[in-house]
Amino acid sequence: MKVSNLMSSKVEFTTPTSTTKEAARQMHDEHVGALPVVVDEQLVGIITDRDICCKVTATGRDAGWTKVEEVMTKDVVTCLDDLDTSDAANIMIDHNIRRLAVLNHQSALVGFLSVDDLARCSYELASSVLEASRTVH
Amino acid sequence: MKVKEIMTPEVETVTPTTTLRVVAREMKDKGVGALPVVEDGKLIGIITDRDVSVYAIAMGHDPQSTEVQKVMTREVYSCSADQDISEAAKIMEQHKVRRLTVMSSNETLAGFLSVADIAPISGELAGAVLKAATPIH
Repeated sequence: MKVSNLMSSKVEFTTPTSTTKEAARQMHDEHVGALPVVVDEQLVGIITDRDICCKVTATGRDAGWTKVEEVMTKDVVTCLDDLDTSDAANIMIDHNIRRLAVLNHQSALVGFLSVDDLARCSYELASSVLEASRTVH
Repeated sequence: MKVKEIMTPEVETVTPTTTLRVVAREMKDKGVGALPVVEDGKLIGIITDRDVSVYAIAMGHDPQSTEVQKVMTREVYSCSADQDISEAAKIMEQHKVRRLTVMSSNETLAGFLSVADIAPISGELAGAVLKAATPIH
């Protein structure tokens, strides 16, 4: 099965100069735990609810002033939308992560593939990904 | 296999009046995403990195003065340390969660069990939990 058949393709994004408070609000409203950071349709980073907790709140910074680009992860691990899901799972395993940004051949962001999505097609693949990423409880 | 053999034994707890800034710091330093909230030796809630960012920060609460009790989740799903992991997985599935608090026989907090702890033992059980869990992408 291809990544494009399993991924969530509704992609809400934020920008590098948005505040982390705005990003938190957006995560709340859209029920997501991560937002891609996009400039001119190109993916430049990703910000998660955990980034805001650990890099903004924990260090005493003001979320109303701290910009997304200051705390986002810039090296986002991606895969292509026509990749086989088992290959995508292997990318997650290699990087000890549970989520991949999905790009098309024009390098535009088209979706996300998470370990939850994998569980819908293979318990075995999803479990291997979880096992490899077992760091944050 | 019993829950107590694979759970993460609980070490850190916070109180309902701990501030969010302190909690965020604790989560960052300990590499955890959730902390049990304990009052007079009794578990009264749970607070996650997502609660801190997506509920408190998003709503403009000051982490320096906002207490855990304002944003913690009071509905905590538990299993017992002596229970079989397949029963614990069923509880997760039923409530669409990925993590349970583990109680010892005298009703005190013994640890946490997450779907990632189950994955290395049974891909089948972990996969079913993920599939049932409320998606947070």
